[in-house]
Amino acid sequence: MALNDLEAKASWLRQELFKMAMRQKKGHIPSSFSCTEILIALYYGGIAKITRGQPEDPNRDRVIVSKGHAAMSQYPILADYDFFPKEELERFTQKDGLLGMYADFRIPGIEGVSGSLGHGVGMGAGFAMAARQDNNFYNTFVIVGDGECYEGSIWESAMFAAHRKLDNLIVIVDRNELCIMGKTEELLELGDLENKWRSFGWHSCSVDGHSFDELMPALNLVGKTDKKPLAIIANTVKGKGVSFMEGRSEWHNRMPSDKQIIEARMELGIEL
Amino acid sequence: MNNKKPPLLMRDIVINRIFEAAKNDKDILFISADLGAAALDDFRDKLPDQFIHAGISEQNMVDLASGLALSGKKVFLYAMAPFLTARCYEQIKCVIASMNLPVTLIAVGVGLGYDHATLTHFTPEDIACMRALNGIEILTPGDAEAAKKIADVAIMDPDFRYIRLDRQGLEPAYDGGFEAVYDRGFGHIADGKNIVIITCGVLLQKALLAREILGEKGVNAGVVDLFRIKPIDGKSLADLLSDYDAIVTVEEQSLEGGMGSAVLEVAADHNILKPVRRLGMRDGYAVINGDRDSLHELYEIDTLHIVGAALGLAERF
Repeated sequence: MALNDLEAKASWLRQELFKMAMRQKKGHIPSSFSCTEILIALYYGGIAKITRGQPEDPNRDRVIVSKGHAAMSQYPILADYDFFPKEELERFTQKDGLLGMYADFRIPGIEGVSGSLGHGVGMGAGFAMAARQDNNFYNTFVIVGDGECYEGSIWESAMFAAHRKLDNLIVIVDRNELCIMGKTEELLELGDLENKWRSFGWHSCSVDGHSFDELMPALNLVGKTDKKPLAIIANTVKGKGVSFMEGRSEWHNRMPSDKQIIEARMELGIEL
Repeated sequence: MNNKKPPLLMRDIVINRIFEAAKNDKDILFISADLGAAALDDFRDKLPDQFIHAGISEQNMVDLASGLALSGKKVFLYAMAPFLTARCYEQIKCVIASMNLPVTLIAVGVGLGYDHATLTHFTPEDIACMRALNGIEILTPGDAEAAKKIADVAIMDPDFRYIRLDRQGLEPAYDGGFEAVYDRGFGHIADGKNIVIITCGVLLQKALLAREILGEKGVNAGVVDLFRIKPIDGKSLADLLSDYDAIVTVEEQSLEGGMGSAVLEVAADHNILKPVRRLGMRDGYAVINGDRDSLHELYEIDTLHIVGAALGLAERF
């Protein structure tokens, strides 16, 4: 997909996510909007090898959104891949619906349960090791939040993956610099994440996480990292695309008023 | 002079079975968080691709296991009991139990097994916390025969299991009879009439000795090895309880939520109302240096206290 088309696809995803969230007034909009371009690059930029209609393909690349509060960001994409009927998007979080607030492994295209932070890198290392052992060539992509990098388990697994030379494991850190209670650098400084991952033995780089011009070359480093797992620090804006949510931690789990919904729809290009 | 050979360590029995099976099944993976064993040295040497050292990183070990199990691997996790349970409890809940993955947790040194290591290495809470997990099966082999069978089941029929191994080798409690009682989940290893003593693991031998002493005092006690703490075949256990006048449970576990609690739940659910004495770790227990026997004495879960509890109950009849 050309860069223009990827941008259009990112707009589409934000629109779908906003509509999904507004139907039930549930979901984490800003967290999903900060990793929108990352997911679009993976699924539509030719990076993750996933076949339409075949969620169980043993050779598929694995994509794990470890920051489970953004689980919903995968749902419109998975429906678009014909993994389940699009009507499910309308039943998000509803009693008889397939799609929950956090990801459930029974959802086609979801690799594991999410919701608790700090599990995705270790789980991903498990997929990566299994691929190695089975002489399989799939890659495992794990999207973690920057706030998630406070979890010690992330670093246990980071050390492990580097030691095992799992260059089929890629971590993309959604560096939006916000957690629920405020700015990460003010609350407890995460500091130079690029160097932190590098010091754990990873090939590490930083990009603008909303720019396909920067994301695509970084993701194309997969397999060219001298046997090191790859960590991409994607600098992002939480709430990207809705100006009154951008960079504001209080919107983590809040729902907009009727007036704000109209403002947001206009900014996102959703028909009124 | 005692020339009797000490029994094989439980860990070596179990690891040897897994090692033998792993030679013919490359999907069997054994992961350790830096706990060794004589049998494991051979495993690491001969099957290096199937042994993984996770680092002293139990959280990573469990997360890793989930990815491997989701990829079709038969995963065995191995660590000291305190660190394979409470230390990474949230990981087990979120990425193993939630997806009911076929991962076997093999814990060494349950209860007071690491006697001299004291507080951090004791696990008076492991039964209480692990049995609250969704879908887990919990097994405590009481001798070598039981350990072999339990290992074989874990190999042949991988499931979400927690296997509680004693740190030391245990004297035989079954004479070829474990296989027959495996499905039921408990062994009625000594018959009786008045009092039934229910325990598992290392305390089986003390319960058997207590039974002997009680016999000399005219109390006919039976001994039950409740080796499967979860799920319990409640109907069968209730049938057994109803044949006795009173019940003594004894364990190296907290009285809140441990094995004795599980027995009471079964009794209540089946309308069995019998006098009960539960022996176990009481809240506020003191920590001292000493070997396992002296700890049993201190915590009043030794042979003498089992006898005392049973006699106290027998006075009522």
